Amino acid sequence: MSFEPKIVSFLCNWCSYTGADLAGTSRMKYAANIRIIRVMCSGRVDPTFVLKAFREGADGVLICGCHPGDCHYHEGNYKCLRRYKLLTKYIKQMGIDDKRLRLEWISASEGKQFAELANEMAETLRNLGPANIKDKLDFFQKTKSVNEDENVEKEKMEAI
Amino acid sequence: MTTENKEKPKLKMAVYWGAACGGCCVSVLDVHEKLFDVVAAADLVFWPIALDFKYKDLEAMPDGHIDVTLFNGAIRNSENKYIAMLLRQKSKIMVAYGSCAHMGGIPGLANFSTKEELFKRVYFESESTLNSEKILPEPDFKVKEGDLELPVFYNDVMPLNKVVCVDYYLPGCPPQTERLLEVFMAIVNGSELPSKKSVIGAYDKTQCDECERKKTDNKKIKKFYRPWEIEDDGETCFLEQGVICMGPATRGGCGVRCIKGNAPCRGCYGPPPDSPDPGAKMMSAVATMIDANEDVEIDKIIEDIVDPAGTFYRFSLPGSIIRRKL
Amino acid sequence: MEEPRIGVYICWCGTNIAKMVDVEYIAEEVKKLQNVVVSRNYKYMCSDPGQDLIIKDIKENNLNRIVVSACSPRIHELTFRKALENAGLNSYLFEMANIREHVSWVHTDRKEATEKAKSLVMAAIKRVGFHESLAKRSVEINPASLIIGGGIAGLTAALEIADTGKQVYLIEKKNSLGGNLAFVDLSFPDLSSVKQILDPKIEKINKHPNIKVFLNTEIDEIFGYVGNFETKLFENTKSEETLKFGNIIVATGLKPFDPSVIPEYAYGKLPDVITSIEFEKMLKEGIIRTKAGKEPKNIGIIHCVGSRNNKYNEYCSRTCCATGLKYANQLRDALPEAGIYELYGDMRVFGKGCEEFYTQTSRKDIVFMMFDQRNDLPKIKANTSKKDFNMIIEINEKLSGEELNIPVDMVVLMVGAQAQDNAKDISHAVGISMCGNAFYIERHPKLDPVATTTDGVYIVGSCQGPKGIIDSVSQTRAAVSRILGTIAKGSVQVEVTTAVVNEDVCCGCQTCISVCPYTAISFNPEKNISVVNEVLCKGCGTCGSACPTGAIRSRHFTDLQILSQIEGIMSLELEEV
Repeated sequence: MSFEPKIVSFLCNWCSYTGADLAGTSRMKYAANIRIIRVMCSGRVDPTFVLKAFREGADGVLICGCHPGDCHYHEGNYKCLRRYKLLTKYIKQMGIDDKRLRLEWISASEGKQFAELANEMAETLRNLGPANIKDKLDFFQKTKSVNEDENVEKEKMEAI
Repeated sequence: MTTENKEKPKLKMAVYWGAACGGCCVSVLDVHEKLFDVVAAADLVFWPIALDFKYKDLEAMPDGHIDVTLFNGAIRNSENKYIAMLLRQKSKIMVAYGSCAHMGGIPGLANFSTKEELFKRVYFESESTLNSEKILPEPDFKVKEGDLELPVFYNDVMPLNKVVCVDYYLPGCPPQTERLLEVFMAIVNGSELPSKKSVIGAYDKTQCDECERKKTDNKKIKKFYRPWEIEDDGETCFLEQGVICMGPATRGGCGVRCIKGNAPCRGCYGPPPDSPDPGAKMMSAVATMIDANEDVEIDKIIEDIVDPAGTFYRFSLPGSIIRRKL
Repeated sequence: MEEPRIGVYICWCGTNIAKMVDVEYIAEEVKKLQNVVVSRNYKYMCSDPGQDLIIKDIKENNLNRIVVSACSPRIHELTFRKALENAGLNSYLFEMANIREHVSWVHTDRKEATEKAKSLVMAAIKRVGFHESLAKRSVEINPASLIIGGGIAGLTAALEIADTGKQVYLIEKKNSLGGNLAFVDLSFPDLSSVKQILDPKIEKINKHPNIKVFLNTEIDEIFGYVGNFETKLFENTKSEETLKFGNIIVATGLKPFDPSVIPEYAYGKLPDVITSIEFEKMLKEGIIRTKAGKEPKNIGIIHCVGSRNNKYNEYCSRTCCATGLKYANQLRDALPEAGIYELYGDMRVFGKGCEEFYTQTSRKDIVFMMFDQRNDLPKIKANTSKKDFNMIIEINEKLSGEELNIPVDMVVLMVGAQAQDNAKDISHAVGISMCGNAFYIERHPKLDPVATTTDGVYIVGSCQGPKGIIDSVSQTRAAVSRILGTIAKGSVQVEVTTAVVNEDVCCGCQTCISVCPYTAISFNPEKNISVVNEVLCKGCGTCGSACPTGAIRSRHFTDLQILSQIEGIMSLELEEV
C-alpha cells in the first residue's frame, strides 16, 4: 500500500477550526490524513506540542490561525508566527525537513482553502515520504538500552 | 554529631563517571574541609578517579551494598552502561549527578552527529591524527597475546535514566558543592527525602528568582546579541539587552554563578519541574520576545540566533523530545 | 487525582456520521482502553434520550469523565456540558471528538474515515483523563446597553430596550440618525414611505429619557467582558465620557458598492450612469432629470452591480432586485410614457409579498432582459451618432439569445452592499470576528444567529450580511430579547478557562506581562511573581506558551491535556487494559 502520511494539526478555535467546520458543513472532500486538535488561539501552540507530535510519529504538523490582523485575541497569531519561525530553524537543525511543519492562516470562511491545504500538505508529505522520527528514536532506545524513557514520561503524566 | 555517627553504621558511598569531563568528581572534592565530615559519615567504597578500586571489587559486592551512588557523566558506550547497571544493582539510592547524567550534558551535543561521522572526524580527519592504515576502534581485536576488548561506542549519547532507574537527579555542570553537601547531610541525618525521581539539590524556582539584575516587563527584542557583542551594564536583565539567557527556564541552586560573573545562564541546571521538554519552553519564550510581526523582519532577527539547538539544548539534547539529529 | 472512570458515546447523527464511520466498531474498540467504563453508540446523542443515556450512566456507573464523539464542539459542547451538570458532574470533565464536520462529511473512504474517527476518539479519551473540575463564575449584568450604529436596526434596538426602563447609549458616527434608510423614499414591496417609519422613531429616541445619543462619535476600544463593559467616548473629538454597560449591539450596517471599478458600466465616465443611491435622491426630490436637465425617455435599470460576480462580491446583496422593481413602479408613475428596461441576471425577489410585487410590476409595461451576470455583463456606451438618446446598452439577451442595443438616456446601477470601511476596527474594538467579505460572523448561523463568539456582543442588521428592513428589525428584536433576558436574570456565567500562575514555580521574569493583549497579567513585586486577573483574562493561552518556566497554566488547555491528546491521536494500536 502506498504511504499515507499522518498530519497533526493545531487549529485556533475562532478562525481555523471554524473554517475546518465549514469545510465539513459544505461537504468539501479532502484527504483523511489530517487530525485536528483545537486550541483557543494559535498563540497557545507551544513548540513542545509540535515536537511531541513529531516524536509520536507525525509525518507533518500543520498550525493554522486567523489571518494577520484578524486574530480574535488581537495578536496571538503573531506570537505563533515568531515561534514557528524559530522552531522551524530548530527542527531543520535536528534533521527534520522544514516542509513537514507549516503555519497557514485560515479564516472562518475559508473552508475551501482549508480543504485544499489539507490535500496539498498530504500530497507534499506523500512525496517527501515517511518522517520515521518515532521509529528512529524508538530504535535506538530498544537496541541500546533498558527502555525506561516511556515509563518516566508516563509517571510524570500520572504524577499530576 | 561525631559520637552519634560512630554508633550509626557509616554510609557506603560510590562515585562514578560515565561520559564526563571529570568536573563533577572535582566538585565532590570541592567540599574542602567539609571532606572530614563526609569521611566521618561515609565510607567511599568505589570512586575510580580518586581511589584504587577495580570493577571486580564492585562486581563482588552484594546487591544493595552501597547506600548512595553519585553517577556523573552520560552514557556513551557499553562500558558506561554496564557499570551504570552494575551500580544500580549494588546501590540503594542512585543519583544522576550533574548535567550529563541528568540530561546528557555537553557530551550530549555529540547527538548532532552519528557514530560514523564522529569516528571519521576523530580517527581520519583531525589535524593531529596520523592514521594512514585507517584503523578504527574495534570492540574485539585479536593480538598474539590474546583477545582485546573495547567498549562498544553507541550512536547516541544518553542520560543515565535511559539505561537504569534513577532515584534522584542532582543537576549542574558541575553541581554546586553546597547543594551536594546539603543533600549528603540530609541522607546522613536520615531526613525525609523527596519523592523518588525528583530533582534534588536545586530549586523549583528558576534563576530569575535569585538573579539580582533589574527586570522589567519590557522583554521586546529587535536584535539578538552574543554576549561579547554588547557592553553589558552589569545591571540589566540579559534578555532585555537582547542576549539569550537561559535563566528563566533553568532551575536555581547554582547561586546564579554565571550571571554573577556577568555571563548569561546557559541552562546547566535544567528545566523546572514538570517540563515536558528542556528547551522548548525557553525557545518559545525567546521567540515571543521578538519585536516584529512581519515575516522578513522576524527572519532577520532570528538570523542572529545562530544555533537554536545548541543554545536551548546545550546541556539537555539527549534528554529532550527530539533527542538527536535525525 | 481520582482514577478516571470514562464514559464514551459515539453518535450516529442519523446517517450523517454512521454512513461514513463505523460507529459500532469504534464503540467496541475503545471499550478495551484503560479507564473506559462505558462505551456506547447511539442515533442522536444530542437528543433528550441521548443526553439521558449519559446522565443515567454517570449515576449508575459512577462515571467521572465523559467523551462524546459527534459533531463539532462549536455546536453541541454546551449541550453536553449541561447534561453533565444535570447529572451532578462538573461540566469541564467532558471532551468532544468532532467526527462529523472533520470526518464523515469530508472523507469518502469509510475505512480511512473510521480509522481517523477512532484516533480522534482515542485522543479525546486520553485528554479527558486529565481534565479538571473548574468552578463556574458568574458576573453581575450592568443593565445599560451600548448600541453602535443609528440605522433602522440600531434605532429599533434602542427603543425596544429603553422602553423597558433600561439605559441605552446609542452611538452614531455621522451627524444624524437614520443610517442608509434616511436617504430612501419608499420601501418595497408595499411602497410605503420610509420617512413614516423612520421619523417617529428618531423623534421618540431624541426625547427618550433612557436613551443617550452620541452623534459624530466612533468607538475606539471597549474594555471588560459581558455584563461589565466600559469605553471612553470622544464626541466630536472634544468632550470625553466614560460609559459602562453590560451588553453591546453592533448595528453598523453597510456601505454601497462603488461601481466605478466595473469597466462595462462606465460609471464616472458617462454622466447619466448613476447609482441607485443617487437615483433614490432624485426620487425623494421628485425630479427625475438627466445631467443635461432633460426628462429621460428611456431608462435602464441594471441589477446585481458588484454582486454575485467573483470579480467583485460573490454574495447576493438581497435587497437590490426588489428595489429595482420599486424604481420601475416609481418611474412608471412619474413618467408614464418612458421606456423602462430592467436588466437582470436572476430576479431574486424573495420574502412575503415580493413575488406578487414582481408580478404586478411586470404588468406595467416594463421590459425585462436577462444577461449572464458572471461572464457577460452588458456594456454601456455613449451614443455619438444621433441625438435622440445619449447612451446605448449592449446586451446579450439570454432569453431570446439575441444581441440587443438599447437606447437610453439614463442608467440606474443597482449597487450591492458591502461591509463598512471601518468594519475591522469595530470588530477589534468589540472583539468579534469577520468572515472573508468583512461582514461579522454570528456564533452559529442557525442555532445562535444574533450572538457572537464574544459573550454580551450581538450583531444585527446589515453588518452581519446584507438585508432589508424587515429582516433587520426581526433580527434586532431577537437580539434585544436576548439582552433583556440576561438583564432580567441579573447575572451571567462566564468562561473560566483562564490562565493561572503557579506561585511556586513563577520566577518573576515578567515575560508574560507584555504578551497579554488584555493587560490581565500584572507583576507582584513583593512576591516576585506574575498575577493573572481572571476577570480580564479571555483564555487565549498565549501567555502559557510564552512562559519559560511552565508556571502559567491555561485552564482546560494545559500542556498535559494537549500532550496527552497528541499521544492519543498518534497511538497506532489500542493499549489493552
